[in-house]
Amino acid sequence: MQPALTNQLNNAFTLFLSLLVEAIPFLLLGVLFSGVLLGFVDERKLIARIPRNPLLGALAGSLVGFLFPVCECGNVPVARRLLIQGVPAPVAIGFLLAAPTINPIVIWATWTAFRDQPEIVVLRVVFSLITATIIGWVFSTQKDLRPLLQPAIARALPLPKPDSSETQLLTPETPSLLQSGTFILGMPGGAVPIESLLQDNWKPLQTGKTEKTSKPSSLFHRLSKERLGLLLDSMVQELRELGGVLVVGSAIAAIVQVGTPRELILNLGQSPVSSILAMLLLAAVVSICSTVDAFFALSFAATFTSGSLLAFLVFGPMIDIKGIGLMLSIFKARAVIYFMVLAAQLTFLMTLGVNLYLG
Amino acid sequence: MILKKFGPWLDTVAILSWGILLLKYWITGKLSILIHPNYFGLTVAGGIGLIIIGGYKMWELIQLDRSNQKSRTSPTINSPRIPKVEHITLFPPSFGSTLMLSVALIGLVTTPRTFTSQTALERGLTESLPITRLQPQEFRNTTKPEKRSLIEWVRLLNFNPEPDTYIGQKVKVQGFVIHPPNVSEQYIWIGRFIITCCAADAYPVGLPVKLPIGQSRTAFPPDSWLEIEGKASSEELQGKRKLTIQADSLKSIPEPKNPYDY
Repeated sequence: MQPALTNQLNNAFTLFLSLLVEAIPFLLLGVLFSGVLLGFVDERKLIARIPRNPLLGALAGSLVGFLFPVCECGNVPVARRLLIQGVPAPVAIGFLLAAPTINPIVIWATWTAFRDQPEIVVLRVVFSLITATIIGWVFSTQKDLRPLLQPAIARALPLPKPDSSETQLLTPETPSLLQSGTFILGMPGGAVPIESLLQDNWKPLQTGKTEKTSKPSSLFHRLSKERLGLLLDSMVQELRELGGVLVVGSAIAAIVQVGTPRELILNLGQSPVSSILAMLLLAAVVSICSTVDAFFALSFAATFTSGSLLAFLVFGPMIDIKGIGLMLSIFKARAVIYFMVLAAQLTFLMTLGVNLYLG
Repeated sequence: MILKKFGPWLDTVAILSWGILLLKYWITGKLSILIHPNYFGLTVAGGIGLIIIGGYKMWELIQLDRSNQKSRTSPTINSPRIPKVEHITLFPPSFGSTLMLSVALIGLVTTPRTFTSQTALERGLTESLPITRLQPQEFRNTTKPEKRSLIEWVRLLNFNPEPDTYIGQKVKVQGFVIHPPNVSEQYIWIGRFIITCCAADAYPVGLPVKLPIGQSRTAFPPDSWLEIEGKASSEELQGKRKLTIQADSLKSIPEPKNPYDY
């Protein structure tokens, strides 16, 4: 028994180290890009170019990840800033759910891990896009997102634009004092209903000075010494945070792989339905960073169905224990549960299709 | 207070130690136990990157320490116009660094070891490749049989599993010894792990070997490395006809620097 145990420990340790050694360069890249783009790209300029149609907006939001390659730990602060700056809900939600997967570094890492199964890489991207776009679209039916947000965020959010029919009702045929609503007094044309401010040029809460630092035409901030210092600080901060998560995740992967009885894994992993359910659960529990989760999934590649690996790769970056904690800093529990249920269902259906028809 | 003071140092040392560990594995050649050679470059670059970041941060901390221990965020630094990047932390700040530093230190003092024959048995030893492996795109029968590696034999068998095709061909392969539990003393398996990315996806493959008459497998303990010369034959093992190496000579060899095959 004793040699078997040492053997197991030795294997687990080698596995653990190999996951870390393979994943850390990708983590470093992810952190670097995230730092560079958070510090140097003016997201407000970006927002102005996003289409208004809810479905297209959700799709565009999902694709914005290509410019902000952040994993799920970095996208929550970005999504929150987007919302506060008045980005439509479908765009922000599409971004929140898709950005961890739809970005060059994650796609490269996935390709590195699944070189032999390119379909996994392609389907991961496609399924993530579909899921994020659909969920973003679903949330576009909620005109005013504020009831679903944490109070602090809701207060910072600009008011939703009223429908145009509603605005016409407000044309001042009646004296302004008899109208109901909120008015800004002392404007050039007398009292002005607050809604009219939302029409075109209304800018939500701006954090004063930041606007002046960028040239009006450029999408990028200028390089400066302070920004480099800031980049370094954000990298160190993220490395320590995500590195810790990576260590824990790799340890779990190694222990699960070595410690679980092989029959159990094989039985779970071979059935088209149970393998997906097991991987969805694992994805939610392990909370491994999307930059490196492909390597984690790879350790199950020999024993689990392709569909279930995909389920892990699509669902994990959207919803996991760590991500839920972060999301609750923006959304109320109700909204997070909607995300979870919708994402799990969509992922399950699509990956089951893979298992049944492509497997 | 103490944490606040030592936190940045801890981060710096953790980052530096990982950079050193990655480079150490590369220099000592242990990287090949952990990952596929395709990614050596990436790891080395990662190691260098970490050392640059850690080194720069260290230099900055030393400077700060000298200049009266002013914190980096102090208003004397002329950067009020840059909004601080918001970051939400899950762990207490020093937890991640402590964890990373401890793992790096363990990695620096211990040496990773290859998987053993026991692991090969646990993972399921077969002479077929898992579906996830790169399937042979072309069939090169022109290779001289005695030049084929163990993996090339396995690939070939995957393409054409009929053992009779190969009867009489010369075999010369290297691998480690495995003692499967349910076969007689006269047989061993010669095996190798193949990896596509890192040790996490190591997958064992192997072929049965029939020892020359009069020899028992006790002379060849598990995990020892052998170079086997012999002829291909077909034997019935555990109710299945399998390509078996009829060994003429078994030579003990040291464990290769790179134990995996690709």
